[in-house]
Amino acid sequence: MRKFSFILTLVCVLAGALSAAPPSFTLGWSVYVGWDPYAYMYKSGLLKKWGDKYGVDIKVRRFDYAPSLDAFVAKNIDACAMTNMEALDMPAAAGVDTTSIIVGDYSNGNDAVLVRHNLTLAQIPGKRVLLVEKTVSQYLFERAMAINNLSGELKRVKYVNTSDSDLAGAFLGDPSQQVAVTWKPLVSQILRGKGITKIFDSSKIPGEILDLMVVRTEVLNRPDGSGQRFAKAVTGAWYELTSQMSKPGAEGDKVLSAIAEVSEDTLSSYKEQLATTHLFYTASSALEMTKSEQLKKTMELVRQFCFTHGLLGDKTASSDDVAIRFPDGSTEGKKDRVRLRFDASYMQMAAGGKL
Amino acid sequence: MSVLQIHAQPSRATVWTLSWLLFAAGLLSYFWVSRGRHMDNPDDRVMPTIRQMAQGFSDAALKPAEDDEVAADASRQSLAAKIGHSMLWKDTLATGRRFIISMALLLPAVLLGVHMGMFPYVGSFFLRFVLFFDKIVALSLLPILFIAFGIDEMAKIMLILIGVGPTIILDAFNLTRGVPKEQIVKGFTLGAGDFAVTYRIVLKQISPRVLNSIRLNLKAVMIFLFSGEMIASQDGLAYRIALLRRHMGMDTIIPYVLWVALLLFLIDYGMRVLNRKLHPWFQEA
Repeated sequence: MRKFSFILTLVCVLAGALSAAPPSFTLGWSVYVGWDPYAYMYKSGLLKKWGDKYGVDIKVRRFDYAPSLDAFVAKNIDACAMTNMEALDMPAAAGVDTTSIIVGDYSNGNDAVLVRHNLTLAQIPGKRVLLVEKTVSQYLFERAMAINNLSGELKRVKYVNTSDSDLAGAFLGDPSQQVAVTWKPLVSQILRGKGITKIFDSSKIPGEILDLMVVRTEVLNRPDGSGQRFAKAVTGAWYELTSQMSKPGAEGDKVLSAIAEVSEDTLSSYKEQLATTHLFYTASSALEMTKSEQLKKTMELVRQFCFTHGLLGDKTASSDDVAIRFPDGSTEGKKDRVRLRFDASYMQMAAGGKL
Repeated sequence: MSVLQIHAQPSRATVWTLSWLLFAAGLLSYFWVSRGRHMDNPDDRVMPTIRQMAQGFSDAALKPAEDDEVAADASRQSLAAKIGHSMLWKDTLATGRRFIISMALLLPAVLLGVHMGMFPYVGSFFLRFVLFFDKIVALSLLPILFIAFGIDEMAKIMLILIGVGPTIILDAFNLTRGVPKEQIVKGFTLGAGDFAVTYRIVLKQISPRVLNSIRLNLKAVMIFLFSGEMIASQDGLAYRIALLRRHMGMDTIIPYVLWVALLLFLIDYGMRVLNRKLHPWFQEA
């Protein structure tokens, strides 16, 4: 009998300990200039500080980009860093209702079209283009052609689907290849090769390739409110870090080199990547972008690109079946099929100092 | 009960049932989980239902490929023509071509192995290098392969040859060494020359075993071929799988993987039949 009561007490104590443990969340990131800060945020304890404030436990895990998307779609992680295009064509199109809580930055030259022999865009049709097909790279390339009134020629372009881990080696090693489209740091690596020039980059389509922090909407809407507290903690930590990053001189450099370190990069290389990234250092600047009409125009372009390239799935009959909702309540697509939401409220709280 | 004993004698029906049991369990648990996921999220793409996969496969096999020129009047074409213009057929052809070329290029590897085993000078020239090369993980040298062979067909075929070639060479070499010395001596005393001994006594004798070793390396060939297609290509079965992964097209990927498995099984079976036809005298020890 005494044994029994002992076990009973033990069970009670354990249950008590478990229920007292704060709800736990996992955030996934992959190496990219605009996402490396998340890793530093975790490593430096900044995220723990904010997590404690809101009573949540937050873990951060590194992935390769594609597996991080897979993990998010499979609901193995609660939040993930991804671009606006992938947020639409991976989780949203797979029926996982997704909410963007932070618009972190946009690519302002990180993605580029690189050529040998000073080719022009007009000379590319008929030639082969190395890129990771159906990604932001192809989007960038087709936008470049569209801007230069060459859309009609796109049919004659021969895409060679090339894995990003081998793209630099393949393009540099095989001089018969004339065109490649990719992103930094691969771009910087390839440009060091002889006779290679950059003819188009994402700074010519500013604000179209956005890097977001997205959370599953069902997590955000948990009845106990823990999901919202998680979002608040992440947002609070993010803007505290970006304000540290933007400090001039040695103080800012110290933070930047620590961030570079977590992704095994150097300060100078990280700064070079930051120079072609439009990072929203303040919550109010990010807020302005999220609430702008420009975001709607961008998402319209992106969703039509995704639809015409079959990225929303072969069974999706119309681009309206994967609808997007903006902070002002307007939607692109069917109102009852909203799958991707831009939520400005957390950035709003950060801007108003209410976190 | 003698069920778990060595002497147990299950009836034919029992053997048949038992052999399918794991298949049934796998399928059942897949569809159980898949059904649960679809109840939770009707747009789930990670674990497609059987109907979605059937649809995905028929689309792949019957609808014209995206980039096909004659896509316009697809509805009036015959079944054969439809298959001929389909994504699946084009991918299978592209991968099959690379596969056949690399298999054909493995034959010289067999001859090299036999010569290494028979002629001491050839052996001492090649053996150490092939032994070394056999242990190189070819996939990690990709950037150098790109410089040497570009990124086109040549590179994919070379990747297979570098990966599987040394194994085949060494296997042929060892089999050659295993032929009893007495037979070779006997061949010479009966008046055969060097090449007659090499080709008509040794090669003839080891060929069923060599064919077997190539058959056992089929999977390695396929793995190297798939890696090559995933690194950089414009067509092929693995190219399609890599692309479909971009938007979680598991409803087509799973049938594709099963299709590849079926093809491999048929090639394996074909090679076994061929081996029996060519060498009816051969009994595996």
